[in-house]
Amino acid sequence: MQSTRRHFTSLLGSAAFIAATAGRARAVPKPGGALSVAFDGTTVASFSLDPHGQYGRFAPQARVMRSIYDSLVVLQPDQSVAPWLATSWQISPDRRQYTFQLRQDVVFHDGTKFDAAAVKANFDRIQNPANALLSLPQIGPYTGATVVSPYIVQVEFSQPFEPFLHNLSATGLAIVSPTAVAKYGKALGQNPTGTGPFRFDSLTPGSEIQLLKNAGYQWAPANAAHQGPAYVDRLTFSNVPEQLTRVAALQSGQVQVADLIPSQNIAEFKADPDFVFQQKEMLDSNYALQLNNSKAPWDDKDVRQAVKLSLDIDLIVRVIYLGTIERAWSPLSHNLFGSAELELTGSWQPNRALAKSILEARGWQLGPDGIRIKDGKRLTISFLDTQGNREQRLDVMQLVRHQLAASGIELSIDSQPMGNYLQKIENGDYDLIAGAQYTPDPDVLRYTFVPQFRSIIQGGTINDPQLNQWLIEAAAEGNPVQRKQLYLQAQQRIIDQVYAIPIYILRYNLAAASAVQGVTLDTHGFPIYHGASLGNA
Amino acid sequence: MPEMAFLVRRLAGAVFVIFGAITLVFLVLYWLPGNPAAMVAGDGASNATIADVQAQLGTGRPLLVQYGSYLWSLAHGNLGTSFATGEPVSSRIWAQLPPSLELTFCSAVLVVFLGVTLGVLSAVYQDRWLDRTIQSGVMFLTSMPDFWLGVLLILVFSVKFHLLPAMGSGSFRQLILPVACLGLKFGGYLERMVRGSVTDVLHDPFVTTLRGKGLREFSILFRHVLRNALIPVITLFGVLVGQLISGVVVIETVFARQGLGRLVVDALGTKDIPVLQGVVLFASAFYVLFNLLIDLSYVWIDRRARL
Repeated sequence: MQSTRRHFTSLLGSAAFIAATAGRARAVPKPGGALSVAFDGTTVASFSLDPHGQYGRFAPQARVMRSIYDSLVVLQPDQSVAPWLATSWQISPDRRQYTFQLRQDVVFHDGTKFDAAAVKANFDRIQNPANALLSLPQIGPYTGATVVSPYIVQVEFSQPFEPFLHNLSATGLAIVSPTAVAKYGKALGQNPTGTGPFRFDSLTPGSEIQLLKNAGYQWAPANAAHQGPAYVDRLTFSNVPEQLTRVAALQSGQVQVADLIPSQNIAEFKADPDFVFQQKEMLDSNYALQLNNSKAPWDDKDVRQAVKLSLDIDLIVRVIYLGTIERAWSPLSHNLFGSAELELTGSWQPNRALAKSILEARGWQLGPDGIRIKDGKRLTISFLDTQGNREQRLDVMQLVRHQLAASGIELSIDSQPMGNYLQKIENGDYDLIAGAQYTPDPDVLRYTFVPQFRSIIQGGTINDPQLNQWLIEAAAEGNPVQRKQLYLQAQQRIIDQVYAIPIYILRYNLAAASAVQGVTLDTHGFPIYHGASLGNA
Repeated sequence: MPEMAFLVRRLAGAVFVIFGAITLVFLVLYWLPGNPAAMVAGDGASNATIADVQAQLGTGRPLLVQYGSYLWSLAHGNLGTSFATGEPVSSRIWAQLPPSLELTFCSAVLVVFLGVTLGVLSAVYQDRWLDRTIQSGVMFLTSMPDFWLGVLLILVFSVKFHLLPAMGSGSFRQLILPVACLGLKFGGYLERMVRGSVTDVLHDPFVTTLRGKGLREFSILFRHVLRNALIPVITLFGVLVGQLISGVVVIETVFARQGLGRLVVDALGTKDIPVLQGVVLFASAFYVLFNLLIDLSYVWIDRRARL
């Protein structure tokens, strides 16, 4: 039933898309004008628009970067990649060498010519440990690149690294101007220089980013709605973390676009003819709960199972997100390559009676206040959190608490600033953590579950040799069918062993004044302003 | 020179308070668990990267060494370098300061204007309908959280009537709603103090004497009563400015304004200790100097305070 509904919705979606593109094909967008976007950038005091740097993994700023930087390849809806700055590529039989033929007409915003040397300089920059760039894991076992001819570059790896092409399509490996890197060094983030449809004009730290049309832009990706420069002359991004203010700024006409419209306002924007609302799944490892399975009693799979069986996730997601997003069954979001969403849909049902009998068989007896006790110890889950109510995650946890209480399990929320949070993770001083991460490739599971690749921030204590082996193998597996199979097995195991309890599939959304046309969401779920215009001529 | 001695004593006290604030913040932030290097290195960083970052930041050194080197560079006018961005702290504060100062200053002017005008009116027309109206209005405004008042103003003036921008900073129009929000709320607090103080003075025997001498009510009120009534009010205004600074932080978030509020929230989240120290130093210096000026203003307002 679930999957039928989803297919039907996506069918409706494609019909609407075709209708919209057909409409757009007849109309001629009006060039010129200024477009203002209010985005949820969280409360920050500075921006850094270096795609390889600290904010390269921070979605709000990466979304802005998408308008400034291009990538070598573009990700298509079927998760294959198509030409962008690279026109074609060959992979060596041992899958350790990628040879890219590059476009010859591309120029960076600072006048630097885009060529094989520029591509090599980008990867070498990321690889250099002295630069401490966050995109480093995305080039995997990269060993170096060779400039074969001015527009042919050969990229080499010490062993096959299959996530590479997917990773290339995301902003994390977008191409920056090597001249700008030499000139600005670490300050590239305040002086972003790419080849994208918009060039950087100015920024006000933490509050506003101004971009101008790149008039010479002739290298939009293969699947772009139009070739040639963007339509609007100026694109302004204002950081408005307060959701009520963001909605008000759009409704009052102060901005023409606002993103991350809260669930309670979505129906209103959908119904209002003055606005156009759109949303798309972000390619993501879904927001999921992870019990600390190096700590009793969560080291017992059956107890973890009892926690899971106590949860009615359908109900939680419906109540909190009011039907605007769907619950998740698998660790990877539905559209991501290798996602087991279809395979795992309906794979388990809440069963409080079974949960109770498991806990009772383990000696956890109901105490006087309805919370189970064993050897004088209460059955309490301390949920460690640092994110606050972003995406209404704490609202979700309130319902989780309510449902667990019905099984005699107590949930307490331990909200900590980032520093304490990391310290507690390091000391294993928690029972439950939860998180999500956007990504173009299922390889994200390797960084989440395999201990030697896991960073402190990702947390977690899972160390399952079988799972490790599959995930490491999958990163090197060249046959997409077999690669997908490995990820399906891995996800099945993650769910069966209750290493993670996925909650919801995040959708990125935005609403625009109806006069604004041509704002689209790409396969990653990132907004594209290249085709945006303030109406038709 | 008794005035000089008074000034020196107050200045020494101010320096002591600021030094205490710096030390306290330094200790609190370093005693908190958590490794700042891990946060600077960011999501996905390896342990080797984190170790490199720690060496660069010097956060692995003993507490006293770090405290000593902080005071040393402070003595050289150097507020340190931001962990998060690598920029000098002073330039990060400087980049966010003007909009916050602008908001604080304009709100303070509105607070004084509303507080004194309405307070005097209330006291003079005590228990009449004007006083009752003002008192209910003040009760309403001061009991409302400032962020909620801000959202209401946005809904009415931006969304409903499209009169004023809902967010942003830089232009005069963008200043009106946030200033109104802070001015109304804190003006309400001040109004109560002014009303109370003016009422007390109006009942003093010297006012009856002045009336008996045949002075006009206007002249009694403004030349004699207000001058006496304002002294306690001004002291409380100094305290109120401290609250206004924290109100500014909240209001900047509601109206998506550039300002120190962003800097503080951001620095807290990333444990950017040098920036937090810089902001605390700045805010405490501002607060202490402001109250110093208030102390000095007594001398001008009331000659009896000359020591």
